[in-house]
Amino acid sequence: MWADTLLIVFISICTALLGEGLTWLMVYRTEKYQKLKTEVERQSKRLEKRKEAHGDSLDKQHKKKIEREEERLKNNNRDLSLVKMKSMFAIGFAFTALLSMFNSIFDGRVVARLPFLPLTWIQGLSHRNLPGDDYYDCSFIFLYILCTMSIRQNIQKLLGFAPSRAASKQGNSIFGPAPGQFK
Amino acid sequence: MSTKTKTVEKNGTLKPSELKSVFTRAITANSEWPDKDEFLDVIYWARQAIGLILGVFWGLIPLKGFLGLLLFVIVNAAVIYFYFSSFQCVDEEEYGGAWELTKEGFMTSFAGFLVTWIIIYSGLYHDGLQS
Repeated sequence: MWADTLLIVFISICTALLGEGLTWLMVYRTEKYQKLKTEVERQSKRLEKRKEAHGDSLDKQHKKKIEREEERLKNNNRDLSLVKMKSMFAIGFAFTALLSMFNSIFDGRVVARLPFLPLTWIQGLSHRNLPGDDYYDCSFIFLYILCTMSIRQNIQKLLGFAPSRAASKQGNSIFGPAPGQFK
Repeated sequence: MSTKTKTVEKNGTLKPSELKSVFTRAITANSEWPDKDEFLDVIYWARQAIGLILGVFWGLIPLKGFLGLLLFVIVNAAVIYFYFSSFQCVDEEEYGGAWELTKEGFMTSFAGFLVTWIIIYSGLYHDGLQS
């Protein structure tokens, strides 16, 4: 089982790196993205500071100013998501194909033994395409998703591609904080 | 083009020159944290380390069942809570309350914990089953 589990960890490291690399190529390095990103970050921080400074004051003028800035931030966030979206779709398709390939390689194979009984609504995932009723058996897809959840986000953070806290706190981007996390 | 990609991003990346100072501050009690994001990053990475370490331990013992999950949540939250409230003594309100700090990076650390726990457990105790 060592071989299978370690192979899955390796696969998810590779796919995470590949995904980030492709996104860098198609999105992160473009001037438009960088401009928008710095703009969003700057605005979020300014807005946060302004909110802190005039938190409880009910001054109409300040309120209006804050609202106006919020609106601008929202627009910028939307533009940022749109810039990301195109490449996300492309990468999503590529990765779905990759995933189905791995799925067929590991089809019906117990890759690991779970030390706990998963909740019933997770069992469909953790026991996918596996023979028998032993729900302690773990399928490829479950382990892969868990690996991706931890590895991809950590790689994003290490490389500095993770969305900034201020921006994700203030803005409501379409995809949320971690787009395409399971891909 | 390559110069343009080098925009400084505070979130997540620790610049090499600051690496040591951030690390020393992280392990020194009552350090000052002028940049909120820096402290949140320390909490984040501490969480990931705790997740991996607990995963290895739970796998080696081996701890099984719901108890393992519950113990992880309790130990993880307790260590981080102790770290920021007693060791670093930060004002949690500055970071949006204790809850914000307690949940920082939790899901990622939980996933990392599950992966190491499952791999070690099934590798050590169920390796012969398949063959």
